[in-house]
Amino acid sequence: MSDAVVRVRMARVEGAQLAQLVDDFRELVGTDRDVSDPAIARLSPDPYPDDEDASRSFQSATRDDLLDRRALDAEIVRTALADLRGDMDTMSQTEAFTEHDLTISPADVDAWLRTLTALRLVIAERLGIESDDDHDPDDARFGVYDWLGYRLELTIEAADELL
Amino acid sequence: MTPLASPDIEEIVDLAAAPMVPWEVVVWNDPVNLMSYVVRVFRTYFGYSIERATQLMRAVHHEGQAVVATGPRETMEVHAQAMHDYGLWATVRKAER
Repeated sequence: MSDAVVRVRMARVEGAQLAQLVDDFRELVGTDRDVSDPAIARLSPDPYPDDEDASRSFQSATRDDLLDRRALDAEIVRTALADLRGDMDTMSQTEAFTEHDLTISPADVDAWLRTLTALRLVIAERLGIESDDDHDPDDARFGVYDWLGYRLELTIEAADELL
Repeated sequence: MTPLASPDIEEIVDLAAAPMVPWEVVVWNDPVNLMSYVVRVFRTYFGYSIERATQLMRAVHHEGQAVVATGPRETMEVHAQAMHDYGLWATVRKAER
């Protein structure tokens, strides 16, 4: 069905914020990536925690490809957000809260979901979120984390309608 | 008449010597991943029904882990890699007999 697309509506300021996070993420997983960064480890878990040899050979065979795929996913999201990019500090309030409709093709939906999830994983790693109770309402970064969860939930709901 | 070749039974591959040991993919609980997301991944990637996917998600959430696939080791590694692509925490291990 050619008209089956996932529609996502977000304020300009949300799009600009998301674009910024995606740019940071692209740097993290880009070609100059630092594989000793714990966030990279969080994005590429060890499938053999009890077998050092199997773990090493699996990781060396697959980790780079996995991170390359994260970078490709992020590029798809970034391209879709191109029109919403902007300097949040100089944006007028009216402009900041103007809502924009984004249409995501079914082929790109997984890239969106994986990227929003990966962003949350990276933030969780930085904030040390290890259980459902790890939350600090005074730390704005938790706000970003929760907001990403909200955006992800909305995107999943819209995407599930096509299943 | 001399037979051209006689089968040497010693050369018959002993299937019992290389048993098909099943392996499994385990998905572990992670506070980051949304329940709706985990269900969606199980549905779309493995093709599980919404009921089965939900049941597996609940097991991950409440029991801390769930076996989501069983089969040859190479296949399980492909599945684990796919789970990692989706940001789920998956490991591969030999199935308990």
